[in-house]
Amino acid sequence: MRDFGGIALLIAALLTAFPTATQAQMEFSLDEVDEGEAEPAKQSESQGDLIEELAAGDDDAADGPAEPAPQREAIAEEIYAVQQIYALRLKRLELAPSVAITLNDPYLKHYGLGLAMNYWFTNVLALGLNFIWYDWGTNPLERGTNIIPRIQNQFRLGVPINDWQMGLWVNFSYVPFYGKFKVRKKIFQWDSYLIGGVGFMRTQPIPVFDPAVRSFDWQTNVAFNVGIGLRIFLTRYLTFFTEFRAYMWPDQFENVDVAPDGAGRSDPATWLQSDSTFVANTSIQIGFTLFLPVKFEYRLPK
Amino acid sequence: MMMLAKQTLSRISLVAALAMCLLLGDGLRSSVSSVGAQDVHVSGPLAGAPAVKKLRIWRGMRLHVEPFFAFTIGDEYARSLIVGAEARFHFLDWLGIGGWGGYTVGKLDTNLAKEVRDKGVTTNANRLDLPDRQNFTEQTGRVNWWSGVELHFVPFRGKLAMFQKVFFDADLDFFVGAAFVGIEERTNAVGLPSPGDVSECQIEGDPNLDLGCLGSQTSRSKRTAVAPSFGVAFSAFFQDFLGVSFRWRGIPFSYNTGGTDNNNDGQIDSSDRLKQFNSMFTIGLIFVLPPKTKTTD
Repeated sequence: MRDFGGIALLIAALLTAFPTATQAQMEFSLDEVDEGEAEPAKQSESQGDLIEELAAGDDDAADGPAEPAPQREAIAEEIYAVQQIYALRLKRLELAPSVAITLNDPYLKHYGLGLAMNYWFTNVLALGLNFIWYDWGTNPLERGTNIIPRIQNQFRLGVPINDWQMGLWVNFSYVPFYGKFKVRKKIFQWDSYLIGGVGFMRTQPIPVFDPAVRSFDWQTNVAFNVGIGLRIFLTRYLTFFTEFRAYMWPDQFENVDVAPDGAGRSDPATWLQSDSTFVANTSIQIGFTLFLPVKFEYRLPK
Repeated sequence: MMMLAKQTLSRISLVAALAMCLLLGDGLRSSVSSVGAQDVHVSGPLAGAPAVKKLRIWRGMRLHVEPFFAFTIGDEYARSLIVGAEARFHFLDWLGIGGWGGYTVGKLDTNLAKEVRDKGVTTNANRLDLPDRQNFTEQTGRVNWWSGVELHFVPFRGKLAMFQKVFFDADLDFFVGAAFVGIEERTNAVGLPSPGDVSECQIEGDPNLDLGCLGSQTSRSKRTAVAPSFGVAFSAFFQDFLGVSFRWRGIPFSYNTGGTDNNNDGQIDSSDRLKQFNSMFTIGLIFVLPPKTKTTD
């Protein structure tokens, strides 16, 4: 349950480190898009994209307007169509309902329904909220896996477990990768994004070691999250997405030691462990996003 | 852990089925024409042109050699760290066959294994399951080597941009096949004098009684298991001959993960094996031969 979150960072680091040395080889070739011909499209795509503008350099700006040279010969050159970015995110609100499936809790099954809202203040950066609800009124012990009785019987070992109610986070999203792929005669646009933020997670210890005496309320914990996601555009406003998220928080579990009667057994101060345990809930979330407004306009150079 | 394995398998199957339905299903195909992802059908000078021109052939009639590092995920008691290599030959750009093999060079005990080692309690009632808590990590099952042959399908390919500055080709490689794994488990043994009240063990093939089952706890046996394997890889190519891949592979098979008497029949044997959805994550470096990449018209 605890140590899976580094995978996403490792992938991101490797992807980031590799291609820089081979950048020249990776540019779109003359066969696909000629550099000179690509200029108008490049301008049209740079709406609000800070990263692109920073990376673009000032080659174009220094040249200024140029007089076209007189044409001496007829040019029989093949013209290539340069495609605009299929869907812009700039100044759009994204609504994203999803289901969340926890991957790494060996003791309890958790099923969450989530809703995220993001506002894209550039084409690649967004600020938003995401909310997940886990508490569906079921007895958490009925959602336990069969590893719990095995541990109890085979090793005489009790396992303190906590149930989850809900989580709410404020997140930043950044889209470093985008691309397209072909399926038969369709071309699908997709992007991959990094997401991370801070919020809270509400959890509740399940009394296992002294259920006759102990009972616990929901407690609120500061929580963090990081993740990586994949979004496939079905239309210019509707996408399918899946993301891998690691939600992390320090949690307090039930004290495995039970004080004797008259020596603190009924004192709630003795019911919880004195130290917090770092919990990392790694989840897969699957859902759809709706971009509003549904329509948008490209800003073309005049 | 059987329930957990089924649960994990069903989750992954659900995700895969949903994704495939979305991408290939009739519903999407029929609706996409009205709302959907871009049609390649265009008017004007590009009418009738193929969807992609000057397509780089990364796989067709080429050999991929891929040394990799992998680690297993979702294990109960120990994760395996694996070093290995894979070779694939592609008859077509979207179809190939390959083989892979790896050796477990290390293992990482899970928190649960550490909890058992530090806090487990032994009585005659559970002596067969845990003869000595301090040696618990010596009784758990492990996989020493991994290998397999697989058929590879590459239906999706495209190019992607990083930071709108760097572009490279990428594809998704789906594969299915058979895996052969070398498993090491606790040797078969019978708890004596009776189930639930064990003070000594009889190890299979050893006429001597094992007082306290301490010898049985660390006695090992090896076997080879055959299992289905499948997965998906994201590959990106940076040079004519060089790429990188991130691969997830699932290999469901049964083994006695904890070296315990899971069916409570008073002995350690093959009936104590639990179905496990074993999966691993792999990072590999792809060397493409011949090194020169051809392109289509």
